[in-house]
Amino acid sequence: MNSTYTAEASKVRETVTSFLQSSISIANLNDDDHLFESGIVNSLFAVQLMTFLEKNFAIEIGMDDLDIENFKSVNATTAFVMRKKDSQGAGATN
Amino acid sequence: MQYLLTEQQAARQKEFKAFVSENVLPFAEEWDREQKIPECAISKLTKSGYLGCSLPLQYGGQGWDTVTFGLLNEALGRGSSSLTGVLTVQTMVSKALLKWGSPEQIQKWIPLLAKGEIIGAFALTEPEAGSDIQSLVTEFTQSDDDFLVLHGTKKWITTGQFASLFLVFGKLGDRSLACLVPRETPGLEVEPIHDLMGFRAAGLAKLVFNNVKVPTANIVGKPGFALSHVAPVGLHYGRISTACSALGLLRGCFEESVAWASTRKIGNQTVGDLGMIRSLIAEMGTALEAGTFLCHSACRAADESLPEAFEKAVMAKYFTSRAAVRSASDAVQIRGAAGCHGSSPVARFYRDAKIMEIIEGTTQIHQHLLGGMFLRKARCSAH
Repeated sequence: MNSTYTAEASKVRETVTSFLQSSISIANLNDDDHLFESGIVNSLFAVQLMTFLEKNFAIEIGMDDLDIENFKSVNATTAFVMRKKDSQGAGATN
Repeated sequence: MQYLLTEQQAARQKEFKAFVSENVLPFAEEWDREQKIPECAISKLTKSGYLGCSLPLQYGGQGWDTVTFGLLNEALGRGSSSLTGVLTVQTMVSKALLKWGSPEQIQKWIPLLAKGEIIGAFALTEPEAGSDIQSLVTEFTQSDDDFLVLHGTKKWITTGQFASLFLVFGKLGDRSLACLVPRETPGLEVEPIHDLMGFRAAGLAKLVFNNVKVPTANIVGKPGFALSHVAPVGLHYGRISTACSALGLLRGCFEESVAWASTRKIGNQTVGDLGMIRSLIAEMGTALEAGTFLCHSACRAADESLPEAFEKAVMAKYFTSRAAVRSASDAVQIRGAAGCHGSSPVARFYRDAKIMEIIEGTTQIHQHLLGGMFLRKARCSAH
């Protein structure tokens, strides 16, 4: 993995973490904490996260992306975004 | 609020008002009394392109933005909450399918929904599961690779009496599932629900699925994601539609009350000269202004694809539906005995408003969501 990729992935992770910290009430969110465990998120969270990712990273999330492994943690979400950006050739983050 | 609208949005707002004046206002009481909207009335919505107003042009929709969609719902709501209900659920089914449907499903169904050639219905609520959608018991079982068998009951389904396509939510094992079920599928029984206190012409029905065989190709999205991803997309537009429809009802209460208070004599004064009546009208008028801004904000956020759009829609629906209930009660009070009779639309507004506090998320569920949101934001600001 080259340094450009690593730098971009770090920026994605930072953006995702910032959004999650403002959206869910969890102190000291770790990168591998499971976001969809009972009681952490409300019924709007999944679509809010989807909308945030689509808007901020210029990716389109479709039926084929519906897999809890793609969204279950900060690290999983970051990896998902990087894969989508690579496959869609999307632009840089905002 | 004209300054919030583009020139095109303002022009459409005028068009919608004219449509409602001609095609809805003269007939809404009759529809309510008969508990039925005639096909010719829905046909007028279709011919005007309104049922597919927010769907893409490429599929035969109008491609209008959410602000315009909101304005249409408000105008229709001013005339008939029941008629707006048709647009509400049509949009809920269409938007959920557009986001999560397969290319084949989209090509097959969206043009028909966009042009109003078929009416959709959002089959989520059950006799024992309303607010608690995680407790759905409608069951899908795998028959073979190509088919599912559906068994269960849905209740309070808007347009269920005349819809041609149902988006049905249930469980496949322990995973949530959404599936398209055409009306003519063998084993599906539709039982009309009559004598509601309000929303009487919205065609509500109970749906009974007796071992209905549906192709697996009709699954929308993927098993396990129906309640987290498919339903919320539909419900989001349901909330926007209901918020704006309630705003239209509120506007009706306000206009009727101001007209009555300005002309009804009491001694040498009009009713509007009395302080206690002025205070009711002040509440109503201010709620109308506030609701207008909340609805506009929710629609704009949806157009800009903002994550906060979902909470803004909850807030708008929560506010306008409660304000509609209060305003309808005050509108009846201002009118006195005449407000309790079918000769005045405020009697219907009073009954319809209460329904708006319950559909697309009850007031109490929205209080739970919004209270949690505000507390969470306060905690995040403190860190």
